Amino acid sequence: MALSTLLISLLVTSVVIYFISKVSWRAGAILNFLIGVFLISYVFALHIGVTSNLGTLFGQKLQLTWTHASYYFSAVSLLVIVSVMLFAIKWLDSQKYPAAFNMFILMMTAGSLGVFMAADLITLYIFWEIAVLSSMLIVPMGKKESRKAAVIYAVMSASGTYMYLYGAFLAFQRYGTLNISEIARHMVSDPSTGIKAAIFLLLASAGIAKSGIFPLHTWLRIAHGNAPDAFSAVLSGQLVKLGSYVLMITVAAIPSLRVFGNIPFYSGIPATNYFLIALGATSIIIGTLMAIKQDDMKMLIAFSSVANGGYILIGIGTMDPMGFEGGVLHVFNHAIAAAVIFMAFASVVYRTHTKKISELGGLIHKMPITFLAYLFAIISLAGIPPMSGFISKWMIYQALVRKGMFITAFIAFFGSIGSFLYVFRPLAGVFLGQLPKKYKDVKEVPPVMWIPMMTLVVISLVIGIWPFPVLQPIEGMRMDYGIAPTMRIADSSHWLIKGFSGSWNPVLVFNLFIIGFVIAYILYTMFPRPKKVDLLAPHKEEGAPINIYTGGEYIYTPELYHYNTKFYAGFERMYEKHPSWEKVLEMLAKFFHDLGEWVHGWFFRPSPSAYTFWVSLTILIVFWVRW
Amino acid sequence: MVAAYKALFNLVVAFFLVLSLEGIGRKITARIQRRIGPPWYQNFIDLFKALSKHPFSNGWIFDFGVLMALGGTMATAMVIPMGSAFWTPFPNSDNFFVIMYLFAVGALGMAMGMVGSGNPWSSIGVSRALTQMLGYELPYLIVISSTIFHYKTASIHKLIEMQRGGWNLLVMPLGGIIAFVSLMGMLGKKPFDIATAPAEIASGPMTELSGKYMGLLHIMHVFAIFVEISLFVDIFLGGGNFGWYLVKFIVVWVLAVMISSVLPRFRIEQMIKFYWGVPLGLAFLNALFVLLGWTL
Repeated sequence: MALSTLLISLLVTSVVIYFISKVSWRAGAILNFLIGVFLISYVFALHIGVTSNLGTLFGQKLQLTWTHASYYFSAVSLLVIVSVMLFAIKWLDSQKYPAAFNMFILMMTAGSLGVFMAADLITLYIFWEIAVLSSMLIVPMGKKESRKAAVIYAVMSASGTYMYLYGAFLAFQRYGTLNISEIARHMVSDPSTGIKAAIFLLLASAGIAKSGIFPLHTWLRIAHGNAPDAFSAVLSGQLVKLGSYVLMITVAAIPSLRVFGNIPFYSGIPATNYFLIALGATSIIIGTLMAIKQDDMKMLIAFSSVANGGYILIGIGTMDPMGFEGGVLHVFNHAIAAAVIFMAFASVVYRTHTKKISELGGLIHKMPITFLAYLFAIISLAGIPPMSGFISKWMIYQALVRKGMFITAFIAFFGSIGSFLYVFRPLAGVFLGQLPKKYKDVKEVPPVMWIPMMTLVVISLVIGIWPFPVLQPIEGMRMDYGIAPTMRIADSSHWLIKGFSGSWNPVLVFNLFIIGFVIAYILYTMFPRPKKVDLLAPHKEEGAPINIYTGGEYIYTPELYHYNTKFYAGFERMYEKHPSWEKVLEMLAKFFHDLGEWVHGWFFRPSPSAYTFWVSLTILIVFWVRW
Repeated sequence: MVAAYKALFNLVVAFFLVLSLEGIGRKITARIQRRIGPPWYQNFIDLFKALSKHPFSNGWIFDFGVLMALGGTMATAMVIPMGSAFWTPFPNSDNFFVIMYLFAVGALGMAMGMVGSGNPWSSIGVSRALTQMLGYELPYLIVISSTIFHYKTASIHKLIEMQRGGWNLLVMPLGGIIAFVSLMGMLGKKPFDIATAPAEIASGPMTELSGKYMGLLHIMHVFAIFVEISLFVDIFLGGGNFGWYLVKFIVVWVLAVMISSVLPRFRIEQMIKFYWGVPLGLAFLNALFVLLGWTL
């Protein structure tokens, strides 16, 4: 099947799915899942270099082509989407509009695949809008705030997309082509730095808006925090990666080191790239600091997506072989981790109907599998071995240290250690600690919901131990873009990952782990067996003995003995009065609103006489100019 | 196979060395405060007493957290080079960032298990410990990054070889001093014992530990101290053969104990302000010197 046939039939199928779902939404969801599985097998079977025509526009061929980058990004996206589709087979029964959800999620899949396959800027734009619009229509299916969230999402996304479109037309006007590789070729030989920089930044702004990079990051918290719970997993795990893809296209497919070689800024990195890196670094700071103080667990991870978008941008922006591979690998790691985390949260909300950390607690003994999924996902997100998240962070650090970019490195370290802080908050507040009495009958979610989470966790763990299957397409991409093609980072014959400053062996690290655990377990069994006691004396009558240290108090209300509000109070106090970009935007919005009111007030006075005055004036003018 | 024996030897050395040093540390603190203090082998007695008592467990996550803490820290201790290439169990994987992040597994396991005990004092302690990590790690990582940039390697045993010409502490004195200040925070010695603060929050994470749990986490703490001080000795004091390595290790420990025995405790935000003030500034200054090539 040609690529164009595939995409168009997917779009048509999505409408069919809607009508099937109207009859039985579960049949639609299962069909969706089967289509997803088919897509995965299709993607793995495709050969690199396949092209296909979509049509013509402005005398330009709209082309699709299958590259290493398309393969990698499509595979990651489908992994996330298919898991969510499986998850949705059960989860959708808590939703109001399951039929529309089924339709839009398939439409969005088609759109995203189209973006990754597009060979020219307009095809990319068309599929981009399909993906964005269909995802935007899912967002308002959530709770009360969701409608406003969808509007903000649309506006922010549009502001990025219009800049992108303007950049595409600028490139078309100057070079007479929309094909990405042609534009790249022309840009290398173009003498005008100003126009090149304009095209570069305009194209990149779509990516900046989509991957939630400062200053266009504000929609991400609102949309991800308020979207239907399982869909947040797609938003954060997959859709944000469209932005990373566009950023990668602008920075790497257009060889920015050669194009902007005449404006080096620091350590051989051009000023344009450094500008993007600075934006990424700002996003890390904002995302980390804001995530630490959130009480809403979905908002917390939404802010962490802002920070991780920053990591990806920093990695790719350096255009260093290590940094590029690290940034691209981070796409995979963050996609998997964020998807699992959001699905785990969706499971919690599915059972408890709240997403406030301060209202939850102690769910581990009720939902142990969800807890384990969350635990492994945060280990990956925080970049701790043996999960795959560590590998990409290690590569990005290698690049930053090699280039001597200490301030960016400092921010990256801050984001990394900050991520220990914020991922621990839901762990402690939602899953560990005391179980509030109202949740004593909560059950684990059914297997349909935990199987996708656990599958992704296992994939992340396996890639953490044996990363070479994922590193291979990334190396292929690096060769395609000509970034230090002679250097080899993944040395699978010696089981080593090589950086500029030494190597390490992921298999060995994992084995050490296992040995450490075995020794610890042997020590554990050597000594007397413990007596199992309850936390506190929950759900028992007054006067029962209390099992944990309470300083001599008798406490029978578990909620009172659970520390989950303002977890890092000491640290949060230090930046209570922080400047807020959202407030600046709100002020701007208020200004334009007032301006509009003022103009509106002039033309639409709420009095009949003013109305008559304006109508007669208009008629007079029309007569006068004789239209 | 040789590597496995070396790794095992690491664990044995770490256990006996640090446990005796802890006892000696108690003795030194006591002498500074004009007390007599316990004998140097007191910590062995304490440990085996704790291990032999019948404990209470607060659920499977409590057990799992303790295992993860001990296992993760042991895994890290096995990678650490003890002073020279010969005492490096895994020369291909002794990368600094690998060690640093592997080390985080133990911390995460401990944090998880202790919060799993359901006691808010433990949660408060863990929240303080993580915040403290944010404090001391940043200057430390900047200093180590500039070291890696300077020597063009992050492999610890190669860093040791590079220091043949002169200790890194003398090559970049500023960096060495900052790393030592960060080391104090890492060790959780006063004035940075905010996380455990016995009189304030009932020993923080350790509140619910009984019997062998206390003992196992004590062993974990022993390995953690081994990793932290070894990194400092290897990266800044040039390692050396096994004997010299031990001497340097003991000197660093005694110095840390002596400093901590005369200082009171910081509050949590004071600690952050401290680390993000002068030490972080000096760490950046050190990085600037390295970039400009102004090393001694």
